[in-house]
Amino acid sequence: MSDIDELIDKLAQDTAVVKPAPHPFALSAKWMLVAVAYIAISLMVAGVRHDLAIKLHEPWFAVEMLALFGIFFATSVSSALLSFPDIHQMRRAAFAPAISFALFVLAILLAWQADSPPAPLPIHSFECTSMILMLSLLPAVWTIIQMRKYASTHYQWAGSIALLFAFSVGAIWLRLNELNDSIVHVIEWHYLPMIVVGLLGMWLGKIVLKW
Amino acid sequence: MTDNTDNFAALMRRSLNGDKRAYAELLQETSRFLRPFLAKRLSFTNEVDDLLQEILLSIHKARHTYDGNRPYKPWVFAIAHFRLQDYLRAHYSDQLRQAIEITEVENNLPENVTETTLSYESISGEIQKLPEKQAMILQLMHQEGYTAKEVAEKMGMNESAVKVAAHRAYKILRETLER
Repeated sequence: MSDIDELIDKLAQDTAVVKPAPHPFALSAKWMLVAVAYIAISLMVAGVRHDLAIKLHEPWFAVEMLALFGIFFATSVSSALLSFPDIHQMRRAAFAPAISFALFVLAILLAWQADSPPAPLPIHSFECTSMILMLSLLPAVWTIIQMRKYASTHYQWAGSIALLFAFSVGAIWLRLNELNDSIVHVIEWHYLPMIVVGLLGMWLGKIVLKW
Repeated sequence: MTDNTDNFAALMRRSLNGDKRAYAELLQETSRFLRPFLAKRLSFTNEVDDLLQEILLSIHKARHTYDGNRPYKPWVFAIAHFRLQDYLRAHYSDQLRQAIEITEVENNLPENVTETTLSYESISGEIQKLPEKQAMILQLMHQEGYTAKEVAEKMGMNESAVKVAAHRAYKILRETLER
């Protein structure tokens, strides 16, 4: 009996009933529900910006929020797909964040152009990035733990998208909480750090999602 | 069993329900179609066997990520490709680690590799016992007075390789003469 036959025999003897993983869309829906609940609870604790109702009627703020939710949705779906070795054979869907990020950048640039005369810059700066990072920490850990239950073969990509998903949770929360109208500040301290977070996720994915 | 996707999917569904025979059959068939895939990409049979075992273990570990409702082979090949990449990465980085770092060798070389305390003639008998290439290099450098660079040009090697070969030859000679 060859080593391979012996191994197969052993694995077959070891096998028992195994519950297949949920469909990635179901996984993604679950992750989004948990994230939305987390945002809602955090907003209940920290409070919603008092001008939210008015702001939502401003087209560029509404577009920005829609685009941000687009990232939240796309990164969640993509993270779930990337948790499977074969991306659940839906490779194109896994690229959804690329489209949502492109739309987001376009929305932000248009909002920036429309910001005339520019809204005054707030006195704070990096505090916003720190706040988003703090808020994103829990979703990031939770998402990574969830992803580790499966078997990603694209761990760097998966790590990056998972952290962007978590960061979008923090970014949505802050945009709904902070009383701030300066799009320049928002780009600089809310959204540009996403690039660093994406790169950090690639590094982290290599460490924590390898199996 | 025929090479039929539905059969693989059906076998996997039965395996997930705890059917040991179906699982053994599935893994046998899987190793059968993976072997040529690996053999094409690896040089030695033992490497193929080692990696195949690793892939089978990975399939076992990740079997809950396959539900039997999509083609089986792309799922298996995704895992096989992933493990192959891992193996090749580890293999090449290992080779690089074991390779002689030329700067390290150069640090150990005498200032001028053509200078030695012994004359070529006094140890020519020992030099002739060296491998042909090393003997030739020493002859050109010490008897005919060529520089390492000129020897490299003459022998169609690069200069560093000549220095490394000379260094190895000195080491052998030193050990022989010290005995």
